[in-house]
Amino acid sequence: MKKMRLKASPKALCFATLWKKIVITALSVCMLTEPAMAKADTIVPYDSYNYDYWENIVFTPAPYIPDNSVSGTTLGIGSFLNPQDLCVSPSGDVYIADTGNNRVVVVDNSLTKVLRVIESFEHDGQADTFKSPYGVCVSENGQIYIADSDNGRIVVLEEDDLSFVKTISNPTSDVLEDDFVFNPLKVTVDYADRVYCIARRMFQGIMVFESEGEFTGFFGTVKVNITPWEKLWRKLSTKEQRSRQQLFIPTEFTGIDIDADGFVYASNFDSNGIQAVRRLNPKGEDVIRKGENANVGGDILTNGTSDYSGVSTIVDVVYRDKGIYSLLDSKRGRIFTYDHEGNLLYIFGGLGTQAGTFTTPVAIEAIGDKIIVLDSYRKEMLVFTETQYGDLINQAVSLRYDGDETLAVDLWKQVLMLDENNELANVGIGKAYLTSGDNVQAMKYLRIGMSRQYYSVAYRRYRNEFLKEYLGVILTVLILMVAGIVFFNKWRKKKKGFTEEEEGGAFDV
Amino acid sequence: MRETFSLAKIKYMFYTLTHPMDGFYEIRHRGRGSVPIAVISVILFSFVFSINKITASFIVNDTNPRTVDSLDNLSGVLLLYLLFCVGNWSITCLLNGEGRLKDIATVLGYSLAPMTISYVIATIISQVVAQNEEGFYSIIITVGTMWTVLLALAGIMIVHNYSLAKTLLTLILTIISMLIIVFIVMLLSDLVNQVYGFIYSIYMELLFRG
Repeated sequence: MKKMRLKASPKALCFATLWKKIVITALSVCMLTEPAMAKADTIVPYDSYNYDYWENIVFTPAPYIPDNSVSGTTLGIGSFLNPQDLCVSPSGDVYIADTGNNRVVVVDNSLTKVLRVIESFEHDGQADTFKSPYGVCVSENGQIYIADSDNGRIVVLEEDDLSFVKTISNPTSDVLEDDFVFNPLKVTVDYADRVYCIARRMFQGIMVFESEGEFTGFFGTVKVNITPWEKLWRKLSTKEQRSRQQLFIPTEFTGIDIDADGFVYASNFDSNGIQAVRRLNPKGEDVIRKGENANVGGDILTNGTSDYSGVSTIVDVVYRDKGIYSLLDSKRGRIFTYDHEGNLLYIFGGLGTQAGTFTTPVAIEAIGDKIIVLDSYRKEMLVFTETQYGDLINQAVSLRYDGDETLAVDLWKQVLMLDENNELANVGIGKAYLTSGDNVQAMKYLRIGMSRQYYSVAYRRYRNEFLKEYLGVILTVLILMVAGIVFFNKWRKKKKGFTEEEEGGAFDV
Repeated sequence: MRETFSLAKIKYMFYTLTHPMDGFYEIRHRGRGSVPIAVISVILFSFVFSINKITASFIVNDTNPRTVDSLDNLSGVLLLYLLFCVGNWSITCLLNGEGRLKDIATVLGYSLAPMTISYVIATIISQVVAQNEEGFYSIIITVGTMWTVLLALAGIMIVHNYSLAKTLLTLILTIISMLIIVFIVMLLSDLVNQVYGFIYSIYMELLFRG
């Protein structure tokens, strides 16, 4: 195991003697090997943060901390070469598309044991090999789909005995250009064995193949938005100029995943930084929800002119569980996690050369409470393990997804102990108070959580209760006041005698 | 009514709000206005504006209270006020306007009063509205703003003895003149800075050599 920079809480360190320091360090290193919950204040080589309602950066405890890294060398099968994709099969095995070595590696759940290395398969009675397999996916029915990119085909094998099932290649259709070369990059399969494939230089969308392997059409095409300014500019330019201008091409999809209901999650690069992931229903319509900041595009603050600034480059997406999904950004090496409502749950990860940071992250997967990221340049998988903070949020969001919001309150309260201004936690608690009828408390929490909609509901109820109780008193006071003013005026006029209105005399100097 | 402050003068401000034609005429020709009261009205407006941004209820208010700086608002409003007065005065001087700088300042300051009042009322109302009832809040502010605009328009028209068309024309020219003033001020400040830098460097040079 690699040695991590890992310490106990700073407070403890202050008071500890040298001996204690050594003991604590040793203990915490030991803790890594055990499944015990990691502490959120562990020192990690990256920033963990989130965006609040005002789109300001709020630093949070680490939701995930680096655990270890797994490379081909540590697995004893020789170094990976430019690996490109990861996939966790329904039974829990991890498939790695070791693209440069033309093989697919299968390791077990704990990433310690190599189960098999698929380098060739039997096809029509003779051995066949892969050429740059970019993507891999295992279907619910136990079949391995390998995007054999440079051979221009998707190879389907049985999971049990690696026997050949079929290949999907040479899609023919009127909508495809004659000189189109099929280079599948990423592939995923739904419960009905429909194959969704991202192909190189295919801007029209995700290619869909029926279970028999025939191409049926495109899916989830990204619409190109042309601003009025660009339209005007094109109109003003000559034909020659136009031919040299940049084409308005929809962006390519970068990563793909599928949830249990058959909704496809596909990530893409969005130059506006607003929507880098789509949730496509079986008809190919985008049904994603964008949450409070109307943004599922990674980083919100992207100003600056350096190489490090600019919108996030989302390269892969993983659907985890209960509506939670994570995006992987290769620009700044960050992992963004959203819930089914599009709320940003937490952000962690970073680029660098330290253990626990990335150089060129390309693929992300989740096994249970762990997140695995494949780094193609480092030729290794980095494993992140959940801290108490991350675990609490994940659990609370899962409960909300199932509709058990009242059960989530205790968890949200624990989240608030770790991260006082967490808006989701405040809204969660506020909503629970709202259902239990404690409007004043609900207003307090919903106000901090910046949930205008639910705050308003709580406030309206509070106001109605208040009016019901005090309406008599308020009306009496009002009537008394009006009567008082009327009588006072009468009394004053009587005293002064009937004079003209004072304001009226505009022309007397 | 020659003194600057008096109860009568303050009362007169409220009279002009409802009788702009007569009221502003009197200000121009019989000295019933007061510049200090007008400036106070402007300052009051800027404070009420800041208070509204900070304390208006969460439901109608989408401003981050941490970003509101009342002194910033004050200096901004006063600068704009000064700029508009000077800009308008410099244009109307050339276009046979009868108003003096004093009258323009008074009229503008007085006409801000409805907006001030509407912001106060709206801020109070905002404390008791829920979602879908923001209309009450925004209509009060809209009415106040419209009133202010009409008052200012009428005031400038009457003070200078202009027709409506000429008033509108001068207003456009006023905005252009404001931009020119800003440009010249920036140019000047840059120049002064450079001269200062030059003198300072000579001074430093002498200091090092001497």
